[in-house]
Amino acid sequence: MGGSPGGPIDKDQHEVEDWERLADAINSALGGRGLQTTDELRRSIESLEDYRNLSYYERWAAATEKLLIEKGVLSGDEIDERAAEIRRRWEGP
Amino acid sequence: MTFEPGDRVRVLPSEKPGHVRTPAYLKGKTGWVESLIGAFPNPEEIAYGLSGRPERPLYKVCFRQTDLWDDYAGPAEDRLYADIYEHWLEPERGST
Repeated sequence: MGGSPGGPIDKDQHEVEDWERLADAINSALGGRGLQTTDELRRSIESLEDYRNLSYYERWAAATEKLLIEKGVLSGDEIDERAAEIRRRWEGP
Repeated sequence: MTFEPGDRVRVLPSEKPGHVRTPAYLKGKTGWVESLIGAFPNPEEIAYGLSGRPERPLYKVCFRQTDLWDDYAGPAEDRLYADIYEHWLEPERGST
C-alpha cells in the first residue's frame, strides 16, 4: 500500500453493507451541498490515527465526522446524540 | 517551467507535510513526460478548504519499474504511469 508491502489481497467478492451505502450517500450529499470536497476527505482520511485498523468505509465515516467537526458544520456532541438516538430506535423498546 | 512530451524529469524528493498527490515511492525518481493531461485546481490546497487556484498543469509521467523497485522481478520493459503535478517535477540534471 502506497509503495510499501501490503500483504496478500483478498479477491473474494463481498456484499456492500447498508451502513456502507449510507456512508457513500452522505458523502455525495455533502459534496452536492458544497460542505465537503473529495480532497478534504482524502486529507482527513490520511490523518486518521487508526487508519490501518479501519475498513474502507469505516475510514470514510470517521474522516467525514472529523471533517464536519473541524469545519464547524456539526459538533461532536450533536453527532454523538444523533447516533445514540438512532441506536435506541434501531434496538427498539 | 513547462514540460514537453519526452522531457526527462525528476520527481522532487520533497518532504512537504500534509496532503500531497505525489506517491512517496516516486519521490526522487526519474522518468519522462508522456503527455500533458490538462490544468486543474491544486488538490493539495483544496484539501484545506482553499480554492486551489491558479490551476496547475498535470502531466502523465512514465517510469521504468526497474528504476522504482530494487527487487523488481518483472520484464525490463515494464512501465509505470503516474499523474504528477508540474510543481512536483524538475528537469533531470544533465538533460538538455
